[in-house]
Amino acid sequence: MMRTVFVNPERCIGCLQCEVACAVEHSASHELAEAFHEVPLPRKRVHVEAGAVPDTSYPNKCRHCDPAPCQRVCPTGAIHRDTSGDLVLIDARRCIGCAMCAVVCPFDVLTFHPLAGTMTPESLVAVKCDGCEQRVGRGEVPACVESCKVDALIYGEINELVAAGRLRESGAVLAAAGLTPAAADGDPLAGWRSFGAARLSVNGAAQDTWVRHRRENGARAGQDQNAAATQAPSGSRREEGTS
Amino acid sequence: MTTTYDGGRQLSRLSIHDDAQQMIERAREEGVETVWDRLRAQEPQCGYCQLGLSCRNCAMGPCRIDPFGEGPQRGVCGADADVIVARNLGRTIAAGSSSHSDHGRDILEVFSAMAHGENSGYRVTDEAKLRRIALEVGVAIEGRSTNEVAIDLADELMANYGTAKGSLSFIERVPALRREKWTGLGITPRGIDRENVEMMHRTHMGVDNDYVNLLLHGLRTALADGWGGSMIATELSDIMFGTPSPVTSEVNLGVLETDQVNIAMHGHNPLLSDVVVTAAQDPELVELARSYGATGINIVGLCCTGNEMLMRKGVHIAGNHLMQELVLVTGALEAMVVDYQCIMPSVVDVAKCYHTKIISTSDKAKFPGATHVSFDPHRGAEIAHDIVRMAVEAYPNRNRDRVRIPVAPVQMMGGFSVEAILGALGGTPQPLVDAIVAGTIRGAVAVVGCNNPKLAQDFEHIELTRKLIENDILVLVTGCAAVANGKAGQMMPAAADLAGPGLGALCKSLGIPPVLHMGSCVDNSRIMQLAAALANAIGVDIDSLPLAGAAPEWYSEKAVAIGAYVVGSGITTVLGVQPPIFGSANVVNLLADGLDGVVGAKFAVEPDPYKAALLIRRHIEAKRQGLGLTFIASDDVRDEEFATAGATVGG
Repeated sequence: MMRTVFVNPERCIGCLQCEVACAVEHSASHELAEAFHEVPLPRKRVHVEAGAVPDTSYPNKCRHCDPAPCQRVCPTGAIHRDTSGDLVLIDARRCIGCAMCAVVCPFDVLTFHPLAGTMTPESLVAVKCDGCEQRVGRGEVPACVESCKVDALIYGEINELVAAGRLRESGAVLAAAGLTPAAADGDPLAGWRSFGAARLSVNGAAQDTWVRHRRENGARAGQDQNAAATQAPSGSRREEGTS
Repeated sequence: MTTTYDGGRQLSRLSIHDDAQQMIERAREEGVETVWDRLRAQEPQCGYCQLGLSCRNCAMGPCRIDPFGEGPQRGVCGADADVIVARNLGRTIAAGSSSHSDHGRDILEVFSAMAHGENSGYRVTDEAKLRRIALEVGVAIEGRSTNEVAIDLADELMANYGTAKGSLSFIERVPALRREKWTGLGITPRGIDRENVEMMHRTHMGVDNDYVNLLLHGLRTALADGWGGSMIATELSDIMFGTPSPVTSEVNLGVLETDQVNIAMHGHNPLLSDVVVTAAQDPELVELARSYGATGINIVGLCCTGNEMLMRKGVHIAGNHLMQELVLVTGALEAMVVDYQCIMPSVVDVAKCYHTKIISTSDKAKFPGATHVSFDPHRGAEIAHDIVRMAVEAYPNRNRDRVRIPVAPVQMMGGFSVEAILGALGGTPQPLVDAIVAGTIRGAVAVVGCNNPKLAQDFEHIELTRKLIENDILVLVTGCAAVANGKAGQMMPAAADLAGPGLGALCKSLGIPPVLHMGSCVDNSRIMQLAAALANAIGVDIDSLPLAGAAPEWYSEKAVAIGAYVVGSGITTVLGVQPPIFGSANVVNLLADGLDGVVGAKFAVEPDPYKAALLIRRHIEAKRQGLGLTFIASDDVRDEEFATAGATVGG
């Protein structure tokens, strides 16, 4: 089971709320009005870039590849996988800012900023998505997903999320072919409606399953993960917040 | 931003009141969506908008400034964070100021029609006040009939709205020292509509790009409300419907009657509610109600319409802003009659789950799904009669098994107009001045404003007020804050026991509560008048007085206008909810510090009611020191005790 943040780029409206939510989540205060006064500034790890045609955009972030090219080229071993195997994380204290990770990243999602808890306060270290491991450990979805009002970013098990996309396509094709009852009534929007309905039902189910799972089993699993994070700090926000 | 999946779902974090909690629980059981569900669905809310850093004033945009510095620092037009935040705040003030002022205009138009004998159901109730106000604004009264005076007064006040007059009729009420300050700053309001229109102009792209200049005009726009639109609304309402005097009433959902036709009047303007109260006493309608098995017709208030009716007629009040959906969930309401302002569009949807009819009445405030009865004041009495009849005829549809009135009502006192307060003091503010000088009362604070579902309903209002009266600080309340304190039992003479030794003894000797209900939100103009009367009695400017304002649970644009005219008039104000200005350090610094140097008052933000009370007490002591009165030094050990006590209660 591989849990990840899945992107429906056609739903992204470019509101940038994921970027703000990400930066606040990775701040020391966790308070919007205080976060942007912190030194060093908390940094976003999701980047909404404009598309090639107007009114399109894509929230780009670390895909947590396995094997991860960045991890393979990191000369100091600062980049590592977490214990669950789902996340690629950076230990900011071991990062030397060589940017080799950025050179090989297929998605260009590594940025370099001063960060609390690094070797020297002024040095730039690699910053990228940490999968909101603390939030997920508490049974919550990542901050960017929670802030996304249009389901451009959704969280869950990868195969369930992919199945949602597949169903959506199937529903749209069938509707377009006039093979749904609503389409047969001559409703020109029927295709889009079944498109959305199919996607929502499966996405919702996938996300709900995960949240329920964590609520029921989360306490133990969450504690284990938190304990691991405390013993072996790994570039998580808890560590960044200690400056 | 730090919302957790189950955080904020506990009832005690939504409201501190038993009636609200029971009805929220019932709404959940019955699958009725309420304001708290919708807030949750909106969270986390847009960070740019929370900081005031988004601008959609033009079609080159919409634009945002990145508060973290990585992204754009200027909009397409070149506006930086300061300009965008100031423009947004300016428009918010204009919206709030316009709301109060348009409410005032509606009353003025009815007043004028009444004077010309053109409408039904309205008359001059307080003749003495009519003549006093007329004389004050330069209308001849000698040997003239009521209607002649009223016609001229209406014309005089109408001119306040345009540009021809060039000043406000009530400007002389402002202490001379304050007027000089306004003249020096160029913020003396010139006309009610003018300042609002000019604010809309200035905030168009490429007009006023100086945040200081914009914010100063924001004060002027608000002052045109506080000393103009709102003041006209208050004074003319008094003349037509009676100047309030102390009256005892009841509050909370327990004011609904199990066996009567219940009608809730919700909104702001007393024009409609006044005639509805009269119609509900019509024997024909009462008989009709009886024929359906009801024992009578019970009118209750909600929000500021409720305050207007309570102040003048002692009509019971069901609750404040966040009770408007919950009152429907009782299943005991036949009709909710609304006019405008603060009426959630959702009431129509909640009402669909019960037999309640939502009746909209203002042509400028329509609610799809409601029954619209266009309120024409020329036929006021007749329309009110029709509305009450509609409610009575809904009574047979009531499902008795679904009626749940959760609690027994609590008593509260209202009716403290400036006239009533001065009357109780023997006609002059001198006894109040003496009490302040002697330290019996250390100062006075206006606790005003709304409810906001981001805070536990009424917690801040009640705790802040109680802390202040414990410290011998007299509290004046209006709007939702008044209802909150009423429900907590802090607005009866017996609450003097909750007050400190000085204020407590004074209240007992006068038989008044330590928390005085001064009316609806337009009636904050009464507080301005009282502050001016005190300043004039001592011979100082308002900002020298040991006064403060607080809007602990504000949500509305109107509250921003009120805050701005209160500060512009020289009274420092503490907000309990962060306004969307924190994206600009310069704007924050000006409002929270710089303004003190120019208008002698500033804003502060403090969501913790105990810390807010401490902040206010220190401010009041500093003002007392400035006047050479006995004061408690701010590093006094009692501060520590105060904060600790607060923390214990709060925890």
